[in-house]
Amino acid sequence: MKDLERLRTLIKEPVELVLNQQIQMELVSSSKYLAMAGWCDRNGYDHSAGFFYKQSEEEREHAMKLFHYLCDQGAIAYTPEIPAVPQEFDGLRSVFETVLEQEITVTDSINRIIGVCRREGDYATEELMKWYVKEQVEEEYIARRCLELIDQIPADQIYYLDKKLASVTYDENPFDEA
Amino acid sequence: MEGSVPASYQEVFRTDKGVVYQCDKTNRLILSFWGSHTPLSARDFAQFRRMVETVNIHQMALSTDAADDVEILTLPRSERCYVLTLCEVIHLRELLSGANLMLELNSMLRECGCATLSGNV
Repeated sequence: MKDLERLRTLIKEPVELVLNQQIQMELVSSSKYLAMAGWCDRNGYDHSAGFFYKQSEEEREHAMKLFHYLCDQGAIAYTPEIPAVPQEFDGLRSVFETVLEQEITVTDSINRIIGVCRREGDYATEELMKWYVKEQVEEEYIARRCLELIDQIPADQIYYLDKKLASVTYDENPFDEA
Repeated sequence: MEGSVPASYQEVFRTDKGVVYQCDKTNRLILSFWGSHTPLSARDFAQFRRMVETVNIHQMALSTDAADDVEILTLPRSERCYVLTLCEVIHLRELLSGANLMLELNSMLRECGCATLSGNV
């Protein structure tokens, strides 16, 4: 008897399920970053607003990468529901604390997906997820560095802090190819 | 109904209420339930199975609202739909889950290089 499911797709159902959950998580992240960008914009943190608009786009790209992968491989990608996200924050520190928490949640989720891939013997998807692992190392670093800067820069130098936060990058990422 | 099953149909799973066949000629799974034969692609079969799995049977059992007495399930890419009571949803779920288990077993046998369920490749 033919294996019709395998003929349809190389992705097994448990992997398809967790990838669809990840698409939703990435799009929720995108929505959260957009809310943060809006908050920064209306509170005068123009540079941080720019940083979060960019982050929002990036998260959407992460979701779309998985969406296209599922579609290309014959699996089913579902357009997820995006719940309401917080629109107000206590201050810049609170915004970046939320960022770090969100990025940790995403990292944990990526690690769980790799666990599922290994259990199902799906080495192709595991290879794809390695890109996300590297990306999360960078995202978590940036969030932590921003919180450090908020602690280090005096509270009366708001403009300088805003500018500095938006310029944080992870140039020394050990996973980046030379 | 038994006599009218084409020779290319292989039985995947059977319960008292229905049968799921596979046709290797057309690459279709045939759902035989409630007196009707519905050929489905592997993708549509998976989608329909998930649709049946997500029916809120607790609400159907506990609600006194007449709208919760039946569930209307539309088959993917088909004009046919099932209007099912709680018991029928459970019977359909049992049939589809059993068929899915057998299809997974078939995949596992192929992956480990063993003969497939029917003994041929």
